[in-house]
Amino acid sequence: MSGVVPPSRAVQLAYGIVLRQLVTRARIAALLLVGAATAAIAVAVGASDDRRDPLETGVQLISSLHFTLLVPIIALVFATAALGDMREDGTLVYLWLRPMDRWPIVVGAWLASITLSLPLTIVPLVISSVAVDGGNNLVTATVLAGVVGVIAYSALFVLLGLMLKNSIVWGLGYVMIWEGLIAAFGSFAAKLAIRGYTRSILTSITDVDLDLGDLSLTVGVVVPVFVAAAALVLAGARLRAMDVD
Amino acid sequence: MADWAPPVARPPTPPAPDPNAIVVVANVTKSFGDVVAVSDVSFTVGPGVTALLGPNGAGKSTLFRVMCGLTAPTRGTVKVLGVDARIDRAVRGRIGLAPQQDALFDRLSAHRFVEVAARTHGVSDADAAARQVLDLVELDADDPKPVGAFSKGMRQRVKLAAALVHDPDLLILDEPLTGLDPVQRNRMIRLFHQLGDDGKCLLVSSHVLDEVARLGSRVLVIAQGRLAATGDYRDLRTLMDDRPHRIRVATDGARVLAAALVERDLVDGVSVSFDSLMVDTNDVDRFGRNIAAVAKQCGVRLREVEPTDDDLESVFRYLVERR
Repeated sequence: MSGVVPPSRAVQLAYGIVLRQLVTRARIAALLLVGAATAAIAVAVGASDDRRDPLETGVQLISSLHFTLLVPIIALVFATAALGDMREDGTLVYLWLRPMDRWPIVVGAWLASITLSLPLTIVPLVISSVAVDGGNNLVTATVLAGVVGVIAYSALFVLLGLMLKNSIVWGLGYVMIWEGLIAAFGSFAAKLAIRGYTRSILTSITDVDLDLGDLSLTVGVVVPVFVAAAALVLAGARLRAMDVD
Repeated sequence: MADWAPPVARPPTPPAPDPNAIVVVANVTKSFGDVVAVSDVSFTVGPGVTALLGPNGAGKSTLFRVMCGLTAPTRGTVKVLGVDARIDRAVRGRIGLAPQQDALFDRLSAHRFVEVAARTHGVSDADAAARQVLDLVELDADDPKPVGAFSKGMRQRVKLAAALVHDPDLLILDEPLTGLDPVQRNRMIRLFHQLGDDGKCLLVSSHVLDEVARLGSRVLVIAQGRLAATGDYRDLRTLMDDRPHRIRVATDGARVLAAALVERDLVDGVSVSFDSLMVDTNDVDRFGRNIAAVAKQCGVRLREVEPTDDDLESVFRYLVERR
């Protein structure tokens, strides 16, 4: 009557379950507000008359606001909750005690997190890029950097949700303290922050200079994808080894 | 009393090989830091209903989690259907667990929740399987209400249905009767027996002695993380009745009555206070039959005769201490 669940099916099942658990009205409304606020700020900046270079102003704004707050925070909220909430409320057992591998559960949770994070970040990013009148290059750069950022942050925060209780607080600490303060002081520290790579994607495509955004486009895209893959492998191992309530 | 066996063997030895054993627990210890939740427990379980009896905090749920592979034992081994459920992917499809915690996917309907359980177990027709087990636990498969709005008893039955939906060989049910009304409780117990008669292995935990009396004849008693006793429920009952009892007798002639009880060899020990006496006896039935007559012969009035150690905790304490 029952049997081992193949990995592709397990990914689908985990994706569906986690997606349903992640979608709450309060969560979506709060994050829509964050996106709307960042877009509104960009619209206000775009409407001001004292800009010498719209592209440079737009890149500066989007780098320091959207890629500092919007992208990491939205990914943080969904990805830490993806398996972290289930771990903490005791429902993880309904995925864990099943005849399926562990890694598809992690991949399903990560995909669910990305599914929700992408529209909530990319739409405000596009609106903001258009609003500051930065041209097609800025739109392309922000979309690519946004996608890469969401992919990497989501994987890291899915892992964090499995590793720590109150993972959202630890994730905020990473975003605010490591990425926001420590990584801003040197290029080596910036290489250990996702923001260093999203910033490099912006500078590579738009040719606008940004501090600590001196990596090539290829490095800016490939390294975060590798980081995401490594985080997912670690999360799978963690799920295999952890105690489940 | 033949197979009633307080597990006193030291040093502990793994259970003897049993060809019918579905669960083999061998010298399992589980610690969380300095806290030992389960200590050196060994037993085997075969088809049929086996009750795991113990007070809250005794280690029942931890033992179940170890069996299911949800946590690794600190020492010892657990085999379910011959393998370790923590490692073997396939065997997890042959275990049905209804955990003690109340957590469910609260926004799903009962049917959707059980259907998801079926799908994650690789059941081919998940919808039909979900409907069938929901019918078995007497829940409406078409009820659109989310399980978050269900009563405790209904949530228990949803958990039970989800544990049953893939037709497992081993069912581990952690306090499954909690929250059920008496009628539902009777029905569930009948269902457990029916499943046991069909050859399934059911391990059902409870901290309520009367429940265990109706769950099955085979009982594992766990207290303070140790297996205090294993065997037939009727033998456990006899053991409980035969153990030393302490009874408080309130009377207006405590000294006279105490002397008479000792003289007639109705007590093993007695201590006297101003208006009562505390009696120790190994034969509580004989004491009960004679106390009124002795008091009458002595010309004293009995105000109260009250066992002081008849609660389940005392029974568990006794079973642990006698090891």
